[in-house]
Amino acid sequence: MKQSEDTKFLITNIFRKIAETILLLIILSLLVFALMYIAPGDPAEKRLTSQGTAITKEVLEAERARLGLMRPFLVRYGEWLFGIIRGDFGISFKDDMPVAPKLAAGLHKTLILSSASLILSLLVSYPLAIWSAFRKGRVSDHIVRVLSFIGNSMPNFLISVLLMYVLCIQLRLFPVIADGSPASLILPVLSLSIPMSGRFIRQMRSEFIDQLNEDYVTGMRMRGVKERYVAVNIIRNSLGHILTIVGLQVGTLMGGSVVIETIFRWPGLGKLVMDSINSRDYPVIMGFVIIMGTIYIVINQLTDVSYHVLDPRV
Amino acid sequence: MRKKMLGILLTASLVLGLTACGGQSRTPDANSDEQTASTAADTEGAAGDAATGDATAQKGGKILRTAASFAYPSLDVHKEYYGWYTSIYGISEALFKMDEDFEVVPCIASDATVDGKTWTITLQDGAAFSNGNPLTAEMVVRNLQRVAEVNERFAYLGGFTMEAVDDKTITITTPEIYPTLKNDLASPELGMIDLDSTKDFDKDPVCTGPFVIDTFVPEGDVTVRKNDAYWGGDVKLDGAVFYYMQEDDPKLLAMQSGEIDCYNSVSSAALEIYNKEPDKYDVVSIPGARLQFYILNENRLDDAVREAINLTVDKDKIAGYLSGTVSAAVGPFSTNADYGQVTVPPVDTEKAKKLFEEDGYTLSKDGFYEKDGKKFVISIAYYPARSLDTLALLIQEQLRDIGVDSTITSYEDPDATYIATGDFDLALYCMIADKAGDPLYFIDSTLAEGAYYDCGGFDDDHCQELIEKLRFEVDEDKRAELANEIVQIAIDDNAFGYVGLFNHTTVLKKGMTGFAENIPFDFYGIDAKTDIG
Repeated sequence: MKQSEDTKFLITNIFRKIAETILLLIILSLLVFALMYIAPGDPAEKRLTSQGTAITKEVLEAERARLGLMRPFLVRYGEWLFGIIRGDFGISFKDDMPVAPKLAAGLHKTLILSSASLILSLLVSYPLAIWSAFRKGRVSDHIVRVLSFIGNSMPNFLISVLLMYVLCIQLRLFPVIADGSPASLILPVLSLSIPMSGRFIRQMRSEFIDQLNEDYVTGMRMRGVKERYVAVNIIRNSLGHILTIVGLQVGTLMGGSVVIETIFRWPGLGKLVMDSINSRDYPVIMGFVIIMGTIYIVINQLTDVSYHVLDPRV
Repeated sequence: MRKKMLGILLTASLVLGLTACGGQSRTPDANSDEQTASTAADTEGAAGDAATGDATAQKGGKILRTAASFAYPSLDVHKEYYGWYTSIYGISEALFKMDEDFEVVPCIASDATVDGKTWTITLQDGAAFSNGNPLTAEMVVRNLQRVAEVNERFAYLGGFTMEAVDDKTITITTPEIYPTLKNDLASPELGMIDLDSTKDFDKDPVCTGPFVIDTFVPEGDVTVRKNDAYWGGDVKLDGAVFYYMQEDDPKLLAMQSGEIDCYNSVSSAALEIYNKEPDKYDVVSIPGARLQFYILNENRLDDAVREAINLTVDKDKIAGYLSGTVSAAVGPFSTNADYGQVTVPPVDTEKAKKLFEEDGYTLSKDGFYEKDGKKFVISIAYYPARSLDTLALLIQEQLRDIGVDSTITSYEDPDATYIATGDFDLALYCMIADKAGDPLYFIDSTLAEGAYYDCGGFDDDHCQELIEKLRFEVDEDKRAELANEIVQIAIDDNAFGYVGLFNHTTVLKKGMTGFAENIPFDFYGIDAKTDIG
């Protein structure tokens, strides 16, 4: 009887979450569309003058009409929303190409770059942060801290150019122009991972030091427990905090890194969206926001539902 | 906390999951081998047997490698500005082309004569597409009609009556006398496509140029190979690769590492480096057709103030500060052109100060001019592109030196803001002033009555009369005279300040020639004579 009530509650909850998600997405889409509508800039003019040639009023008006920019707000919003529901993200104002394949290609590339950078950053920063925390105040700790400070302080573009100069020009290990092979992922991943590792090391080290000051660590040490078991306990207990740090970074990475993508000719979302903002390519910008918004909302709602699955008391 | 952890875990798994799934997709991208191969295969099919160059041109032979700052999703010559790039890639050719001296010279067409409203255009003997099909007059007419349909900027061509008189002769009758048709026909957007044989206009247009498309990645790299059937004779290169590279630093590094042979739009920082190694690189820098200028608002600034501003702005100093990327301008056009022969008074800050004082301005204690107890401050509007931000600061500094205070406002979109409203004292703008070797386009855009960029209140009846004459004048020498007179009126009226012409700067590895380094237009690149030495 109790189980049946729980199932019923869960199903009701899921439907409620779906309704909430749809409502949130409609609000988000309306907000995005309205912001694009009132934002300064004219896609027709951007398109016609993209090479710096002058335009006439007549040509501009004709292009505006062709792009449908003269129609009322609600008509345009309704058409766009209806298209999104059917999976049609519209046609790019910049080049008349369908938006959906552009976003799919960019998302795919950004996910590859982001995932690889995140994994490398974790592989570097986790052990270094633990090592540094256990050797707090020693020379090795200072070295790790200084290096992480430098890594964290250096902007992406500077790291990118330095890496190119040293690894491509001086050491001739890589070509400057990536050829599309897996090896061409190395430099952009390094450029993203170095500052990210710097951040991670400082934040993780701080968390591990907090854990080291906890009573349970003192107790373990007093009982003569070996340091590696202490480390295992610390890692386990700090996992929540660490995942929060990493999670926040995932959000940033998902938006794409414009600088890295541009320098290394990596056609990800960040570059696509930046180019679209510059050319006032509203369909692409709106598609991007809707996709990102959907991912975040769905994840959040899934979390709520899953939490109840894991702990029925909630 | 647990809730947050769960969310993060789900996010991470979604990211990894999507990545894994994405790895199996075949979405076209800048580094996709599949895309490249398939395009090459399509190209073979469309180009036919005549284009027998190596399908993988980049693997051997005389291959030029260069960096392109822009990349587009389509190679359809007639649409948007894509024709600029098919022209740079050496794929497409227009009926005429522009030379170093801003002259229109024959290309696929050998001649164009005009009689009243009717132009007669004769095609070159032997002009043919890369698939061997001859270029006929009927095909030219169909091409021009297609451009009118698919490109808003050339919609006016639809109002012309075009006729193929015979295989090699076309007549174009315009509703009114139209002296610049030949110049228009040199526009790269009017490149010829074999409309019957082309199967994919976006990826593989069959054109007449010395090169044919080998691989094309939308908004990515482009590879071309020699058109062995080129109607214009021998082609020196076997192929070329255009790497899409937007940033200056990677271009410099790629040049230093020998991965590219040349590129244009060289930054000032890179220019310094190349100039230090003359044994390795040739740097060619010529004034181009892209103009930095400012509009002085006649509705707000009186004659004396405008004159004083123009006497103060030191174009040579500005060009010097912009370290080789800009040449000081006299008028809007290159002084190499017949229609670029105007004069401006030299910088004279003492005279400028005198003009202010005669106009009732006095210097206040803080060193700035004021009138009737009110500080004189001019508003400078600009948009952050084409070095206009630097230009705004330099002009502000030069004006401050004579006692004129100013405020600077940056706008995201000039055309929708200060150009549209006229809300400025001094407005900076940058545009191509000469796109086809004729002055009418710029004059019509900035000085004619009701012109979109005549937003500073310039209005001169005599000037308008001359513009109307220019509109219908066929004789080139007389056109140049008229243009010089028109622009001189605007200069004398202090309606504008023509500051600088962007240099067309190309760096080439030693021994390389023919990358359009001496042509001031942005839409030329490789041709049959291009050689890497």
